[in-house]
Amino acid sequence: MTTYLLTLLLLLLIAPLLLSLIKSIKMFLLFKQPSSIFQGYRNFSKLLSKETILSYESSVMTRVAPFLVLSPLLVTLLLVPPIVKGAFYIDFVDAFTITGLISLSTFFLMLLGLDGASSFGGMGSSREAFISALAEPAMILTLFSVSLMANNLGISQATVNLAQSFPPEHIASFLFAGISFFILLVAENGRIPVDNPETHLELTMVHEAMILDLTGFYLALIESASAIKFVIFSSLFVSIFIPFGLDYPLPLALLAFLLKLLLVVVAIALLEVNVAKLRLFKVPNLLGLAIVFAFLSLITFYVLGA
Amino acid sequence: MMINFLIGIFLASLIISLFSTRLYKLLFWYALNSLSLGFLAIYFGANLDDNGMIIAGIITVLMKSIGIPYFLKQITVKLQLVRQVQPNIKIQHSILLVPAILVFTFYLSEPIMQSMGQNAHYVAVAISSLFLSLMLMMEHTNIAPKIIGFLSMENTLFLLGVTATGGMPMLIELGIFFDLLMAIVIVTLLLNRKEI
Repeated sequence: MTTYLLTLLLLLLIAPLLLSLIKSIKMFLLFKQPSSIFQGYRNFSKLLSKETILSYESSVMTRVAPFLVLSPLLVTLLLVPPIVKGAFYIDFVDAFTITGLISLSTFFLMLLGLDGASSFGGMGSSREAFISALAEPAMILTLFSVSLMANNLGISQATVNLAQSFPPEHIASFLFAGISFFILLVAENGRIPVDNPETHLELTMVHEAMILDLTGFYLALIESASAIKFVIFSSLFVSIFIPFGLDYPLPLALLAFLLKLLLVVVAIALLEVNVAKLRLFKVPNLLGLAIVFAFLSLITFYVLGA
Repeated sequence: MMINFLIGIFLASLIISLFSTRLYKLLFWYALNSLSLGFLAIYFGANLDDNGMIIAGIITVLMKSIGIPYFLKQITVKLQLVRQVQPNIKIQHSILLVPAILVFTFYLSEPIMQSMGQNAHYVAVAISSLFLSLMLMMEHTNIAPKIIGFLSMENTLFLLGVTATGGMPMLIELGIFFDLLMAIVIVTLLLNRKEI
């Protein structure tokens, strides 16, 4: 139980670090002076000390929605697969629970965008609804096919099974599920081919448009929510699709987990530098590819047993 | 495990190439497709102790994954072909069509799989890739993607030959390569004649 709480604390602590790390790797690759990797913590403390201003048009929703955005993600963080051996984990969580909790958070984020009564907020909300409606079926299919491969519908138990005895005959469908989940990781966290997190240009922004009105404490909540979402997705990705290192002794297992996270971060930074942002109406093509691969992984597993 | 992984990359790169709208990306996915095929042939040859298949695999890696994409890129630059190749089948339709094809062909090849024995599901993957590369040929009107569709169809036939038969005679494989070379030459002649 102590290990479980400590790993949760670790995940919470490294959440802003990962996003800042992506940014500094990107700046390094673009021959700019890289920003500090602790910039996320600095922004958080700066936003906490700032004054909070609310729009006159906003209702009570603006005051409660940031908490409602953050809390499902915190609950999901309690349910992520174990990262060290012998840690406590909750095994009744299946694909639907995780997807549902994440989309609950997205739902309140969309309400928050609508509530400010600015046209940007409504636009961002409609775009977010458009993207997440396409991402959810693919995510359910992917997680479901992986948990079928690992002989358990619970995600945490499935990752433990995978780490203990990886089924080598299923690696083809495993690969398809991995491709699908990586696309979802990019899409749900608003990274570059889908959404650019660094710009405030009205033509392109999705996530930033919804939180344009927020200030101070509420903005800090939303920023930490997006960092936690990234941590949830990347830790799900590494514990499902790079399943080794769970049996190592505690420091080594933690080191292996952090290295795997670093791998995901570098992969996303390389992708962001090399790929242009997609036009909004091209995004369904990418997510359609994710759906095709998720379905392909399921059908390959069922029909061919491969 | 290795074979399954390579087959997975083979099918994945073919499916991604169905959705791509740029010619150079199409060439890149074709090169990845051929690379996985070549490694597959080398691996199979090493397992079966069949030197002919190893040689065929090495030729595949050199020719199909490096030679032909480079050659096609040169031609594209030289003849100034259209590089934005939009599929004629809308992508939202192909999202439905591709899984339908996969399910259909997986069940279609079930009788073959029952009579085959060990390498059964590779045959199913090869047949479904055949249909997918046919779709790649169908969905484009420009000539360059059609060539790539043709070449990936040849890849799937090679895959079928490697996995289903357990070692083709090397003469036949070299004959296939020679056919391919002739096809490329003819295609180049066509391209030079009629600059589409």
